[in-house]
Amino acid sequence: MYFNSFDFLLFLPIIFVVYWFFQKRKIHFQNILLLVASYIFYGWWDYRFIALIALSTLVDYLVGIKISHCDDHKFKKRWLLVSVFFNLGVLSFFKYCNFFIDSWVDLFNSIGYDIKNVTTLSIILPVGISFYTFQTMSYTIDVYRGKLQPTRDFISFAAFVSFFPQLVAGPIERATHLLPQFLEKRKYTIESISYGVKLIIWGFFLKLVVADRAAIYVNSVYNNVEYHDGLSLIFATILFAFQIYGDFAGYSLIAIGTAKLFGFNLMTNFRRPYFSASIHEFWNRWHISLSTWFRDYLYIPLGGNRVGRYRWFFNLFITFLISGLWHGAKWTFVIWGAINGIYLIIEILCNGKKRKGTLNIISTFCFISFAWIFFRANSVLDAFYIISKIFTKPGKLYIGSGDDIAASIYAVLAIFLLVVIEFRREYLKNTVVINFIIKREIGRMFMYATLIYLILYLGVFGNSQFIYFQF
Amino acid sequence: MKGYITIFSKMVKFVILVLIVDLLFGIISNHVFFLQKTGKYARANHVIYDTEAEVLIFGSSHAHRHYVPEILEKELKTTAYNAGAEGQQLIYHLALQEMVLKRSTPNLFILNIDEDFLYSSDIAYDRLNDLHPYYNEFKNELRPLFKLNSKFIDIEMFFRSYLVNSTIIHIIRYYLSPQLDYKGYRPLHGTMTTDQTTSNLIKLDDEAKEIDKNFVFALKEFIDNAKSNDVNLVFVISPTLKKINPNNKSLAIINKIATKENVSIFNFAEDTNFDNKLDWFHDPSHLNDQGARHFTKLVSERINQKILTNLEKK
Repeated sequence: MYFNSFDFLLFLPIIFVVYWFFQKRKIHFQNILLLVASYIFYGWWDYRFIALIALSTLVDYLVGIKISHCDDHKFKKRWLLVSVFFNLGVLSFFKYCNFFIDSWVDLFNSIGYDIKNVTTLSIILPVGISFYTFQTMSYTIDVYRGKLQPTRDFISFAAFVSFFPQLVAGPIERATHLLPQFLEKRKYTIESISYGVKLIIWGFFLKLVVADRAAIYVNSVYNNVEYHDGLSLIFATILFAFQIYGDFAGYSLIAIGTAKLFGFNLMTNFRRPYFSASIHEFWNRWHISLSTWFRDYLYIPLGGNRVGRYRWFFNLFITFLISGLWHGAKWTFVIWGAINGIYLIIEILCNGKKRKGTLNIISTFCFISFAWIFFRANSVLDAFYIISKIFTKPGKLYIGSGDDIAASIYAVLAIFLLVVIEFRREYLKNTVVINFIIKREIGRMFMYATLIYLILYLGVFGNSQFIYFQF
Repeated sequence: MKGYITIFSKMVKFVILVLIVDLLFGIISNHVFFLQKTGKYARANHVIYDTEAEVLIFGSSHAHRHYVPEILEKELKTTAYNAGAEGQQLIYHLALQEMVLKRSTPNLFILNIDEDFLYSSDIAYDRLNDLHPYYNEFKNELRPLFKLNSKFIDIEMFFRSYLVNSTIIHIIRYYLSPQLDYKGYRPLHGTMTTDQTTSNLIKLDDEAKEIDKNFVFALKEFIDNAKSNDVNLVFVISPTLKKINPNNKSLAIINKIATKENVSIFNFAEDTNFDNKLDWFHDPSHLNDQGARHFTKLVSERINQKILTNLEKK
């Protein structure tokens, strides 16, 4: 079920009312409801996905208990490996199997072997598999590390794994943060619910107005790169930077806001990343839940920065390379990850981690946008073609034809509004997601109602998906 | 309990406020929408509410850019209006036809056929959005078609702001810079070069494309509407420099339906008059003004020969 669907707009209020109806009873009832709701939410795409998440839940639940029962460190480690291999095995099979087969075939063909007619598997990629496998892995790893006592409450654990607001595109929650919330009574407060609704509204604005409007221009250029000149490709790349931000940050806000309606606090996933003055800072603000996951479960176990200089660089590079592969089974994502790894290494070499100022913000945005070319391009060849055109054939700016013109104007206006709001939050330290500077409650309500009007009036209501669902 | 009541009352207050804002801004947006004088929406408004033309042309950009009403009027000694809409496909034309027939009964409908009219296309459904502003007035005609794309159409159409979604830039744009048309026809200028021909002579590949049953139904419905209202109907396939695949499934079905329903098809796609006439084309699939005038004249002659002769016989 997509957040930007009418199915969800009917689903959410029903679950909300029933959920709080159980408030006076044991939290067990609420957790059962959340579990059922989450499975319905997930099964809406394809009911077969439910079996996979249920199996993943069962394995990690049992492994957690087994680890806690072991006194011997060696056995603990074996049980942990069961969880890691299972989760990564499932992920590799569903997401990377065909990618690896194709890549091997390409490699052999390139060195002279003529391999044809290789059968690839017809596999449906379960939505959000990368997100929930990482979330459950964090549970077993934290139990193994002694940071968390394993739960024996299977329902709560299953509800934690499948919690529908963040199930398919994060934020990737840590068991240490989210699981305890399933085990204690949730509070029903007007502040929390009101804040949740505000986050949801702003999230929808980012998704439907900023991201989906920008997508119209970006798709028309990136899907026909041979017909466009450098200027159009630059403009499309800038729009894509905002498209992916609006899309993903929008989803995260809707997820956080929805969780708030049920009394849960999810971690912040984006902190105005395009105001970063260095690549290092950008990665502390962009997709925080994933960056910190890789930091805690890959980068630090590899030795982090407490090793020799070259090993440190290797750790950084490999972490970003894998992060790129996590995003998708395509070489474009791997290269995107590698570029970001290289950026960070260069930044360390140039002592640029603590840069500040407008020029650095602009230059960081340019570097990040350059890397987005690989993220968005349909193939590696396309990406190099785009880059070469940007530097060799600036040409004319395509402003679109027919509806495309309107789409890019809406996108630019919405991005302008986004930048103004984020600027206020960044530099004027507004804590509220959107501060309308109106003291009376009815005035603030009016402004949010106007924002809903803008979403309905300017949003794109097609069959668009969230970009990160494919990961 | 008190907490629940407070939250409930605030939510109700907020929902009422959303509805009021939607109503107020919606009324203004709706009013502005129908004030338009030029542009695609203004042309649609004219077709739906005003035109008394005896000949109406339906179709995508090929219709919009290829039929000169002035020539049709002169050759057929009648009145004509070009209701072609760029980028639109069969279900849009069906909806427009039904809205027109609610108010008037022209003498002749010309439906310009694109070779890919029956192939599946999500865009065809998405672009029905252009007709959202007319929903409240033409619910019976539009609801079944909008339902093809959304099961929650009644909820969506409840919001006035959604009805006129994304129209404001068009309104401002054509207010500041009016888009001239000649009874719905907008000429294309400029001619093709040999370079363009060599790079654009594409053999349309349709092997993998699928037929959308809804589009087939829309075509049949279009014919039925014309017949039941006693309006003459002809299908025309415009000239093109692109080579249409002889195994085009969409075109084969259209031909079959037309034959079965006794609707004339004037196929200019392989008309030798247009062979290598680069100075008549703006691009491989669109005629320029000069080409459009030649083409409209040829269409008029064919109509005069076939339809009007039949009418005289009656």
